Amino acid sequence: MSTWATAPTQEKTLTFVLVGNPNCGKSTLFNALTGMRQKVGNYPGVTVEKKVGEFFSLHGQPMQIIDLPGAYSLSPRSPDEAITRDVLLGRLGDMTRPDRIVCVVDASNLERNLFLVTQILDLGVPTMLALNMIDLAQSKGISIDAAALSQELGIPVVACQAHKKIGVTELRQAMSKERLPHPVRRWRLQPEMEKAVNELSARLAEERGEEPSRLFAEALIILVGEKSGNDSELSPPVRQLAQGLRRELEEQGLDCHEAIVASRYQYAQEVCERVVRTGPVGEEDPSDKLDAVLTHPIWGWTIFLGLMSLMFFAIFTLATYPMDWVDGGFGALANAVKKAMPAGDLRDLITDGVIAGVGGVLVFLPQILILFFFIGLLEDTGYMARAAFIMDRIMSRVGLHGKSFIPLLSSYACAIPGIMATRTIENPKDRLVTILVAPLMSCSARLPVYTLMIATLLPAKTVPALQKAGIMMALYVVGTAIAFFFAWLFKKTIMHSETPVLIMELPPYRRPSLRAVAMQMIHRSKLFVKRAGTVILGLSILLWFLAAYPKIDGADASSQLAQSFAGKAGHAIEPLIKPLGFDWKIGIGLIGSFAAREVFVSTMSVVYNVEATDDTSVPLREAMLQEKWPDGSPVFTPLVCVTLMVFYVLAMQCISTVVVVRRETNSWRWPLFQIAYMTGTAYLACLLVYQGGKMLGL
Amino acid sequence: MKSNALKPKHPLVDLCEARVGSKLRVRDLKSHPAVCQRLREMGFCEFAEIHKVADNGALICQVCGARVALSRSLGKQIIVEPVSAAKA
Repeated sequence: MSTWATAPTQEKTLTFVLVGNPNCGKSTLFNALTGMRQKVGNYPGVTVEKKVGEFFSLHGQPMQIIDLPGAYSLSPRSPDEAITRDVLLGRLGDMTRPDRIVCVVDASNLERNLFLVTQILDLGVPTMLALNMIDLAQSKGISIDAAALSQELGIPVVACQAHKKIGVTELRQAMSKERLPHPVRRWRLQPEMEKAVNELSARLAEERGEEPSRLFAEALIILVGEKSGNDSELSPPVRQLAQGLRRELEEQGLDCHEAIVASRYQYAQEVCERVVRTGPVGEEDPSDKLDAVLTHPIWGWTIFLGLMSLMFFAIFTLATYPMDWVDGGFGALANAVKKAMPAGDLRDLITDGVIAGVGGVLVFLPQILILFFFIGLLEDTGYMARAAFIMDRIMSRVGLHGKSFIPLLSSYACAIPGIMATRTIENPKDRLVTILVAPLMSCSARLPVYTLMIATLLPAKTVPALQKAGIMMALYVVGTAIAFFFAWLFKKTIMHSETPVLIMELPPYRRPSLRAVAMQMIHRSKLFVKRAGTVILGLSILLWFLAAYPKIDGADASSQLAQSFAGKAGHAIEPLIKPLGFDWKIGIGLIGSFAAREVFVSTMSVVYNVEATDDTSVPLREAMLQEKWPDGSPVFTPLVCVTLMVFYVLAMQCISTVVVVRRETNSWRWPLFQIAYMTGTAYLACLLVYQGGKMLGL
Repeated sequence: MKSNALKPKHPLVDLCEARVGSKLRVRDLKSHPAVCQRLREMGFCEFAEIHKVADNGALICQVCGARVALSRSLGKQIIVEPVSAAKA
């Protein structure tokens, strides 16, 4: 007896996997089962990471469950689907084959979902079916006889509505059963193919000493000649047999791929005919009416642009109120510490290093929360897939398809989730191009720098907020335009391939769950806060130390900074950045922000606070405006402010992104190329802007 | 395999040419094998019935109860037979 049939015992924790098509409510069901907080999205492939949860059987035994990425088939087309296939076949690293499978299907779309179910059942692993979204099916006039479906497929079937937690206990009950039958394949191939697959699985069984029926799925994959992780491990006799059989079938004029899909669908259709009753279709599907407007060539664009403008408007106007509170809070805290503690290095470390550094970054949390709120809302309502559909026309001009838009939009918040979301892109070259340009979309870490530079550029009181928002918008547009330019350039040169075709499911619209959106906001902003509390806190302390030491006896604050470690480093790179109009103090900021962009703001706070001689520290903007070159001319002229903004739009300054790109592309080549092309472009663009501006007399 | 009983009754067109709102039967897929495979898995098998919902730069079709967006370039490679005329 194989391990699959092992009854739950005290010693062994059973491992379940959740499998299903994208948008079938898998992640919602996962949450309902485990209570584990996790992102629930709506566009294809939102579940890109391995998500593991624990829950207890009805007998109180702990069980493990893995939420696999959504897949349409076990013949993968994207890295995401490959993960699902490899986990199910037990081919992923050290992961063993799952003990049991929970197959989630969308009841309103049973026939298409059953296609994947037939592939899962071929694996011979004990499986149960969660017939999800029965309420949606009912609203479409579809009723499904769950008992009859269970009979047809030979596995337990549980009807449920995961989002209302209906049927979840029944599912847990089915999952807790001590014994579950091994599914038996009930669909049949054409006789010639059936014979060929049986011959191959018999040979495999002979080699491995397993039962041939369990090896049917693998034999099928080998027969159609699909590339898979284990190809090199096939023994020569098996490989030769597969090649011979394939040739024979081709000679008979049979297209293996087409024949297999057709046979599976035929079976799915027959099952549906027996278990699905379609009543009179009620009124028109509300999704139809919405799609008529939201994907309309004129209205669709108007609404799309309106939504994007609303999002950026909210970020730059609504967020200012809570930002002022956060800013005021940290200011008050710094003053309180100054009053409570005796003057000295420790007090300076706390106020100028820790509070100025971390506060300078945390003040942007409201803007980041608003951005994540909008992205979460777009995903949860199902609009995100429509946005990708609308953007397909523009994306195809630069050689990418609409699906690349979703990672790029996420990159406005942070390039890291954006880069991970590229796993749904099928073509490796298109995926790589999207990864390479994603960090050019202005992420939330750039906001602090933009806000500071805009404030330095324009006096706070006299310039209307709208004008500042306009500059901010322009920075986003420049970043986006350059990203599209490079995508086009890469597709024309190093990543040359045809413009990919779009095949994307548009999920039905649904009322967003505010709880899910809120959970997502918290989950994503946690990363940002965590960074503020760890990396940025550490860097702030380090920078404070580098700016305050070595101590020079009797030196004033200014010459102390100039001779500190940080000052020396800034002086060292000054010849390189002087043609851009930057002095050595900005140089300190640039060096600091190679780890993370927002560190520029905290570095500047530390650099200028170190210099402040009295106890009342001036706002950073004022300090920067007072900054002079040795000849008495101001450092932060409007031209320098603009040049600095251009640098931050284009330069690659984020250690975390470098690490993620390294992981996702599995080589150092691409992250290094990314640093070189982005920072190189930034340098040249800044040189052009500054020297050009000077020539024009700015 | 494709018997006479399945001979098209109506002239064949590609998916881009088919009228919005009409019911169609897929007759042939002329794309790369890997794309054809994915199309079939998403329900665009030969002889499957689909419904063309919209045509705005890209196409939207209702297939097997799901709504699927396709590039126009792909639509040209999907050959269909009109089953019923567009609803007024």
